[in-house]
Amino acid sequence: MTNPLRAIWEYLKEISGENAYDRYLAVHDATHPDKSPMSRGEFYRARQDEKYMNPGSRCP
Amino acid sequence: MGNSLRRYGIWVGIAIIGAVCWGVLALSRGETVNAAWLLFAAIASYAIAYRFYARFIQRRVLETDDSRATPAERLNNGQDFEPMDRRVLFGHHFAAIAGAGPLVGPVLAAQMGYLPGTVWIIVGVILAGAVQDMTTLFFSMRRNGKTLGQMAREEIGPVGGVAALIAVLSIMIILLAVLALVVVNALAASPWGAFSIAMTIPIALLMGVYLRFLRPGRVLEVSLIGVGLLILALVGGGWISESSAYAEAWTFGVNAIAIALIAYGFIASVLPVWVLLAPRDYLSTFMKIGTILLLAIGIAFTLPSIHMPKATEFAFNGQGPVFAGALFPFVFITIACGALSGFHSLIASGTTPKLIQKESQIRFIGYGAMLMESFVAVMAIIAATTLDPGVYFAMNANPSLLGDTVQSASQAVGGFGFSVDPQTLTQTAQNVGEDSIIGRTGGAPTLAVGMAQIFSGILGGPALQAFWYHFAIMFEALFILTTVDAGTRVGRFMIQDLVGNVVPAFRNASWLPGNLIASGLIVAGWGYFLIAGVNDPLGGINQLFPLFGIANQLLAAVALTVGTTILIKMGKLRYAWVTALPLLWDASVTLTASYQKIFSTNPSLGFFAQRAQAQQSLDTGKVNDVMAALGAQSLDDVRQVLTNTTVDGVLSILFAAMIIIVIGDAVRVWFGIIRGGTEPELSEAPHEQSRLDSEGREIEEREPVRAGS
Repeated sequence: MTNPLRAIWEYLKEISGENAYDRYLAVHDATHPDKSPMSRGEFYRARQDEKYMNPGSRCP
Repeated sequence: MGNSLRRYGIWVGIAIIGAVCWGVLALSRGETVNAAWLLFAAIASYAIAYRFYARFIQRRVLETDDSRATPAERLNNGQDFEPMDRRVLFGHHFAAIAGAGPLVGPVLAAQMGYLPGTVWIIVGVILAGAVQDMTTLFFSMRRNGKTLGQMAREEIGPVGGVAALIAVLSIMIILLAVLALVVVNALAASPWGAFSIAMTIPIALLMGVYLRFLRPGRVLEVSLIGVGLLILALVGGGWISESSAYAEAWTFGVNAIAIALIAYGFIASVLPVWVLLAPRDYLSTFMKIGTILLLAIGIAFTLPSIHMPKATEFAFNGQGPVFAGALFPFVFITIACGALSGFHSLIASGTTPKLIQKESQIRFIGYGAMLMESFVAVMAIIAATTLDPGVYFAMNANPSLLGDTVQSASQAVGGFGFSVDPQTLTQTAQNVGEDSIIGRTGGAPTLAVGMAQIFSGILGGPALQAFWYHFAIMFEALFILTTVDAGTRVGRFMIQDLVGNVVPAFRNASWLPGNLIASGLIVAGWGYFLIAGVNDPLGGINQLFPLFGIANQLLAAVALTVGTTILIKMGKLRYAWVTALPLLWDASVTLTASYQKIFSTNPSLGFFAQRAQAQQSLDTGKVNDVMAALGAQSLDDVRQVLTNTTVDGVLSILFAAMIIIVIGDAVRVWFGIIRGGTEPELSEAPHEQSRLDSEGREIEEREPVRAGS
């Protein structure tokens, strides 16, 4: 955390959703370890489809 | 005493700096003034507003409560509800509210001089725009992320709800048409621009496949590749424009580009999102943040001088060649995004409130992100006003008044009371690698010339000016096209939802016929206005931009009305002025503008006055002097004016009626409560204890600490 470049990189990963899968895995393992989690590809495809099924508006 | 002195000492210092900067701006008598005064006046004002006014609203008016669990915590499903780090959420929220709006409006308003626009951007955001965003965010958060339309229906009544829905749909259509018009004007007769923007489509397709199948979720990687390819496309555009054969093949007229845009909008809305929209979203977000940063750095390093006068005579006589109408009310509807933008209330209700960790963070996210956007608008006005005013007017006046040659344009600019010699116009066009810059309305090209001058001041010098100009054009066109894509899709879903009430099959978003019909309807809506605007003899931007401004501020009126209603229902009548005063201002601005657009007898301003002149010309079979002076050259032109002004005039009436209905309906509710006759019904979600600390971590269960131990 002391390295500012590293902090920026972490921020970018967080904000772009790049580490969303890692977070999903962590939550999945903690909540229902008995079921097998989605693969990386499955996870992002599902997430993308869902995000845009209900597209929020954006400003001009 | 000493402690509070130290605490407030710094704020006194900031206040003094701000006051000095404002003083210099207001009192300057010289030819030019340095942009630094403007920058520091803005920053000092924002800091004070954020520290004092926003805090007052948060603590006294809204009384945020961090022990109360937010919907993100209570309803956490790891998808749309999820507590998100406030810095990350700030980024998402800012990226969603900051589009082309804050860049275009200030450029157009610069025709009245730099001061009116700047004052409105800064004062407006502090007292109105950021307040609207923050309060809407809070009220929606307390209602589990309900949308503005739902809140209007529940808090005011069904009439308000329906009016809000119509407002959203119509603003969407006008907005898409105006933004598309900006792109058309920037790309027409510009092989460099047309080529590089066309290349963004294959780049997006490639990124889409990469992100979906090759390396799923590697967003940063693919964005980096995308930005690299974009730069290549830009360089390629430069080569194209230099080779005469290719340049000719890539030179298109306005109608060809408009039709291509309409086709693109339809196809993009029908296709699955991963093909175009999702990759474009990443690309334009990174480009947007990067370019805004670059602009900030450029202005801070070069500290350019502002050449536009403090206020031009157009501010008072209302005869500006960019758009008609005087300072009041037209500055306040031309600059929407950056000062007060109703569109934000759609983002502040719905998406963002479902992700907030702690109630008190609404100040940072709602108020703070809007201050950032306002700062972008200030930078845009700086970039536009650093240009030679003569060049500015030669680029932005109605093209039919300027004629086709640099000589005629120079003469026309002289007629506006400014001067520019033909050589300067030729030279400026050459510097940015275009054949001509005359009559390039819409704001984007002007901003691009300003940005090119600023950027080349820090990197590359005059040699790179053409590159930076097209960089700026590409960046604006890129995110306008993303908005066209996303906006068409939003409109499509709204229509599918509406029609779904009658034909249930329409509700299913993946049902192809419903998809095709709804997309077609939306595209036909904005496509109509786009084609009309492109061919409007009176200038499409001149005619349509005020309508867009009015529609946007109409939505702000809905949001502020909902806010005031909820404040009164919460028993906060004595603080209701926080949203009621901006509402009063917004309503007077919007209604005055509508009134002038409908009833003004001045044919450069009133739609129906224009219509009467067109009718008279048709009756006599000859273009009369008034029509000719406005830019209509033939009877065909006059026929077009007749149709356009009828449509625009009717729309103005519709918008004005909507504002009156919403506010009238709300006032009825207010007085019901104040008189005590009706019991206020608040639809807040019930209080639930939060289990997250201020950093969003789960609080450990602890033994209750016994008193005295």
